[in-house]
Amino acid sequence: MRHPEGPVSAVFFDGETAARHDVTVTVHWQTPAALIIDGETGALPQRWQLDRLRALSDQADRKTLVITRVADTTDETPRDPARLVIDDPALREWILASRPDLFRRDLREGTRFRILTRGVGAVVAFVVILFLLLPQMANTLAMLIPEEREAEFGRATVRQMELIFGGEDESLRCEYPAAQVVWNELAERFVDREDYDAPITVIVLDHPMVNAFAAPGGHVVFFRGLIDAAESPDEVAAVMAHEIGHVVARDPTRMALRSVGSVGILGLVLGDFAGGGLVLVLSEQLLSSSYSREAEEEADDYAIAQLIEDNIDPSALAHFFERLREEYGDIEGIAEKFVSHPSLSDRIDGAHIAAVDVTDPVPSLTDIEWELLQASCSQRDNPLSRD
Amino acid sequence: MDSHQEPVPGKYSGDGSDIFKLAMVTSLLTLVTAGIYRFWAKTRIRKYIWSSVSFRGDSFEYTGTGLEKFLGFLVAIVILAIYLGIIQMVMFFFGLNFFAEPETMEEVFAQMAAFYLTLGAVLPLWFFAIYRARRYKMARTRWRGIRLGMEKGAWGYALRAIGYWILVILTAGILTPLKTFRLEQYMTDRSWYGDARFTQGGDWRNLYPAMRHIFIALGMLVAGGVCLALELFILGVVGFIAGYLWFFIGIVYYRVKSFAYLAENKVLDGKVRFTSEPRTRTILKTVILGGLAVGALAGLLFGIAGGSLGASMTVDPETFQPEFSPAAIVFSVVMYVLALLVVGALTLAFITQPVIQHIVETLTIENPEDLDDIRQRAYDEGADAEGFADALDVGGAI
Repeated sequence: MRHPEGPVSAVFFDGETAARHDVTVTVHWQTPAALIIDGETGALPQRWQLDRLRALSDQADRKTLVITRVADTTDETPRDPARLVIDDPALREWILASRPDLFRRDLREGTRFRILTRGVGAVVAFVVILFLLLPQMANTLAMLIPEEREAEFGRATVRQMELIFGGEDESLRCEYPAAQVVWNELAERFVDREDYDAPITVIVLDHPMVNAFAAPGGHVVFFRGLIDAAESPDEVAAVMAHEIGHVVARDPTRMALRSVGSVGILGLVLGDFAGGGLVLVLSEQLLSSSYSREAEEEADDYAIAQLIEDNIDPSALAHFFERLREEYGDIEGIAEKFVSHPSLSDRIDGAHIAAVDVTDPVPSLTDIEWELLQASCSQRDNPLSRD
Repeated sequence: MDSHQEPVPGKYSGDGSDIFKLAMVTSLLTLVTAGIYRFWAKTRIRKYIWSSVSFRGDSFEYTGTGLEKFLGFLVAIVILAIYLGIIQMVMFFFGLNFFAEPETMEEVFAQMAAFYLTLGAVLPLWFFAIYRARRYKMARTRWRGIRLGMEKGAWGYALRAIGYWILVILTAGILTPLKTFRLEQYMTDRSWYGDARFTQGGDWRNLYPAMRHIFIALGMLVAGGVCLALELFILGVVGFIAGYLWFFIGIVYYRVKSFAYLAENKVLDGKVRFTSEPRTRTILKTVILGGLAVGALAGLLFGIAGGSLGASMTVDPETFQPEFSPAAIVFSVVMYVLALLVVGALTLAFITQPVIQHIVETLTIENPEDLDDIRQRAYDEGADAEGFADALDVGGAI
């Protein structure tokens, strides 16, 4: 396309005052080629080199072209504050067609480095917050939290669990006083009273799941499925010792504190962007799992030490886990990170090594006591959870 | 000022299909970049809208960049993360949390307290972000090559905003005009075009006529209540429904009229004045008709998403559990996300842009010649470039 002959009229703003200047624009070919902007008013004439011309992008009015030029300013973009508004179709088309750099962004030197440092800085800050600051604070607060409030929160958590597994209207709780006495005695045997002086509450839920967990405020919850799956009282005792390990270390409270802090933060980072909610849940799960892996190992160590002290064979822990593995298979690979307990084989290895230390083991419970435990839920008549 | 000057009305040249296309393209890019592009998307849409607004053929220009917004956001979320993480944990420590279903009255109160405390902790930051966002927008707006700008003052704004809101709540809304006026005045008195300062004139009591339809709506609700008390059941219900609907009209009316009053009482450089005559009827029509159109289309798209999933559902004959084919799930998720994007873009094209257009085209500069000798102002870094506003989800469509 040929460039327009002769001067073309346009509007010019010099970037110094708000006055509007009517100007003429001529293409000047003497190297370096440029637009000569001339007019009666303003700081004119000006010579704008063609290769330094830049246009504004995403403009609503396609019939006009607003031109500026590359300049070494401290502004948000390296641009001359002056603007040349071209309405003339021929000149506009010619500039659009002949200037490949017209819409270039012209990043300032050091911009890439700035992006990199800020990006890395933000990531580092988040890692520090999530894995250092909040856990540290959670640890401190978990030790300071009043006993009564912790217990109250524990009760709420257990109730929530019951809602998840049982539904609104029925309580899953097994309340057999004779069994409860045995449970309480069993729990008390493994509490290191030098470290933990609050009461321990054992709760049995009538549900076929093979599981047990510790909740804040000294709550230990057993599912009936676990008692049914156990072949000896030692196995239940071993699990109890493990959960008491969590209680004494205040793991549940600590973890709850940590999750409250980090859930809020993750929501903030991921924003309300589509699908953010799902990512939120997955990330939080990943996070709490990475907290609890070390906590689980510590609880295992605690359990093994307590079992040995009580002259109970800690290999019960191993036997139980081995049977669980045969029955349910082990979880390996990526899925492993999503469950809150360490891989079963790791725990079995740990328990086997510990078994060497007990020379003359005694059973943890008498036959009568064991039968009472197994009958924990016999007082209930609940067709829904019998299988 | 004595010489007669021809007033200039605003013009808006933006086009519905253009902005729809721009919004679709930028939100698709936002989707494939997992949200990162949203800073650039917002920038491009603003460039389009700003450039659509002109007075006597001279368009506005938006000079903000996506990059500065992104970097500002990075700083803002780190600060917010520390703040909110600690707040949440401390509240939990004091027994205030949302974990469990409340069962006793005490727990209900504790949860309410927790909610308001969290809100209270975030509120100063929220108002801070509002002021900062406006300052950034002003700092990145130019007209005739001259920058607009705003002075620092976000904490002062946050403090006043909380104070005036408390007054509004304590007086059951009666002092709303005071809040509206003083907060706008705080911002306007710190706003500049080049070296010329804006000042907010007028009196807050003059905003009461703008509250008129809210009072009418309240009257209807009271009348409805009286009818119910007198056991005039049908009349009472009609009164309630009418009052409820009228209340929303009243809110729109108040926003439109208070905007016009505040705009007409702004003075630039002690001499440049404005008139503003937006019509509530036009705005309501745009919002209602636009809302219905967007809503109908959204319903259709979400219907396709849900319907295709439903159609692929089979029920396992033994467990009675519904089963879905993976292909159908992927299809409906894609449809669902697309529908979300389309709704956003349509809202911009059918509601936001027409409302802006109406506001601009009913705004007039009374003595435009007096603008000519206004001089350039210095560059403002723009603080966090809206980082806080973005992280806290402050502010509407653009």
